[in-house]
Amino acid sequence: MLKFIFKKLLLMIPMLILISIIVFFGLQFTGIDPINFMVSPEVLSANAENIEALRESLGLNDPLLIQYFRWLGNCLKGDLGYSFTGAPIVDTIAVRLPYTLELAGYSLVLSTIIGIGIGIISAIRQNGVIDYLGRVFAVLGQAVPQFLVGIILIEIFSIKLGWFPAANRVSPGAANPFLDSVLHLFLPVLTLTIGMVAVLMRYARNTMLDVLNSDYIKTARSKGIPEWKVYLKHGFRNAMKPVLVIIMFRIPMLIGGSVVIESVFSYPGIGLTMTNAITSGDYPVVLATTLIIAATMLICSFLVDVLNALLDPRVRLGE
Amino acid sequence: MSETKSIKEMNKSSSSSLFRRNVRKFMNNKLALFGLIVVLVITIACIVGAVMGIDYSTPNLPQMKKPPSAEHLFGTDTIGRDLLARVLYGGCYSILVGVFCAVLSSVIGAVLGALAGYFGGRVDKFIVRLSEIFQAFPQLVLVMMLVAILNKRGLGNLLFIFVITGWMTTFRMVRNEFMSLKSETYVKVCEAFGMSKSNIMFKQVLPNVMSPIIVSTTTNVAFFILQEAALSFIGLGVTDATPTWGNILNAAKSLSVVTDQWWIWVFPGLAISLFVLAINFLGDGLRDVLDPKQQ
Repeated sequence: MLKFIFKKLLLMIPMLILISIIVFFGLQFTGIDPINFMVSPEVLSANAENIEALRESLGLNDPLLIQYFRWLGNCLKGDLGYSFTGAPIVDTIAVRLPYTLELAGYSLVLSTIIGIGIGIISAIRQNGVIDYLGRVFAVLGQAVPQFLVGIILIEIFSIKLGWFPAANRVSPGAANPFLDSVLHLFLPVLTLTIGMVAVLMRYARNTMLDVLNSDYIKTARSKGIPEWKVYLKHGFRNAMKPVLVIIMFRIPMLIGGSVVIESVFSYPGIGLTMTNAITSGDYPVVLATTLIIAATMLICSFLVDVLNALLDPRVRLGE
Repeated sequence: MSETKSIKEMNKSSSSSLFRRNVRKFMNNKLALFGLIVVLVITIACIVGAVMGIDYSTPNLPQMKKPPSAEHLFGTDTIGRDLLARVLYGGCYSILVGVFCAVLSSVIGAVLGALAGYFGGRVDKFIVRLSEIFQAFPQLVLVMMLVAILNKRGLGNLLFIFVITGWMTTFRMVRNEFMSLKSETYVKVCEAFGMSKSNIMFKQVLPNVMSPIIVSTTTNVAFFILQEAALSFIGLGVTDATPTWGNILNAAKSLSVVTDQWWIWVFPGLAISLFVLAINFLGDGLRDVLDPKQQ
């Protein structure tokens, strides 16, 4: 097992380097000159010599390869450079990455509980009311764009009813910081959860149905074990393994979804930072946020692999 | 000679009866039929609207933010453009994005999957690695990164980006099918006859994988339409000059529009949801007919 973990960890490093190469050199093709963002056009045309000196001192005249290694070295030291607005990127990310992780994390936990819960109830009471409603919900939840769900929730809960704020993560000078966070997180988390539940529910229902139709469940029943125990102890446990794997494979979807949802709720997470940076052409920030998201994703998929190996010995031995 | 001909004819008639049976099976599936009809109706309405040359782009400021009326069935948007015209025109582009990207990414996925699954070894390892790199990103982030790199918001760029980021699911499916099919006797027979490798891959084996490819292409149409809408909504998709469903919904980023001009986001929202819903029904129906083992 340790060998497996070690091997997976080693594989992450070339991946990250490759991604950083693609992003770094890719952004060079955009033909955007950082100098244009630092100096106004009039100054630019008047002081050609000084500009050249500035270029030299910033290292913009060095070969690309050297620029890349300098940038990579700085990244490893924890210095992601400066945004075109002058702020150190590390500081921005240190505040905003936790916000995004919060959003995605709570949605993951909530949608897992709700999705599996409804899925199992609909499997036990197949063709019952909950099963039917669940089916309608799953179909709708996959057809309505997530950002539209967000807009509808804003319209109902923050504009019509005024229960929750429609934007931001913290309000300045809130009396009760905990309540404030809950209020701000509620709608975005709900939006992401609805999308996830719509997908998870079907998986949970179908795997549970497969398990309930298997022979060992019949054996358990014929032994006279109480029905609830059959469902919980024999059914639930065996149905959960594939469902957990599916949930973990959906994490990228969740992080991708939170990028859009952050925009809907003006939620200051890493996704909104990236969106704004792309719109305004702030390339150092685009570079840094992409890399951070890619690293987060790699860590997630690493955890998925490890957990998967723990649950299923075949994966471990196959490697 | 006459005997071979009759066998061929028999094959033909049996395959056409299989086709008839599948059509009947599909017709009996109410939801799938509903999906097909809705998809056709929306597509035809959009194309007819576009061909008639309805005016979707001239701003008419005195008429701005008017609620639905006899003159403007869906109302007008924030600068007075007729919303019905924009939804119809936008539908053309959204559907184009969905269909084009789904078909092309399926083709790429199928070709790469065939190569990887059939040859195995180094080719396989290389292509699988490549697909893993693409999958290291959430797809939307990958798309956003490419939008930043290409640095221009155009329909062409968006199509290109979607195609090169969307082939991995089809690829994995086709690869797995090929790996199990390549040890079948008929493949060995073809090899023994000295058939060329491309002939075996694309003419002999690939037709057996066609059903799941068709099903996944259908559901991918919905996926790409939603993806385009999300991207246009956050302002990184197509520019405002080219209307798409997501682009029109971009107006709903302002809270005053959400509250006071409900028609601006409800109609395009309904159009996109209904279309995606119908595509999903259609995809499920096709799966039931074409791919019974996947139910």
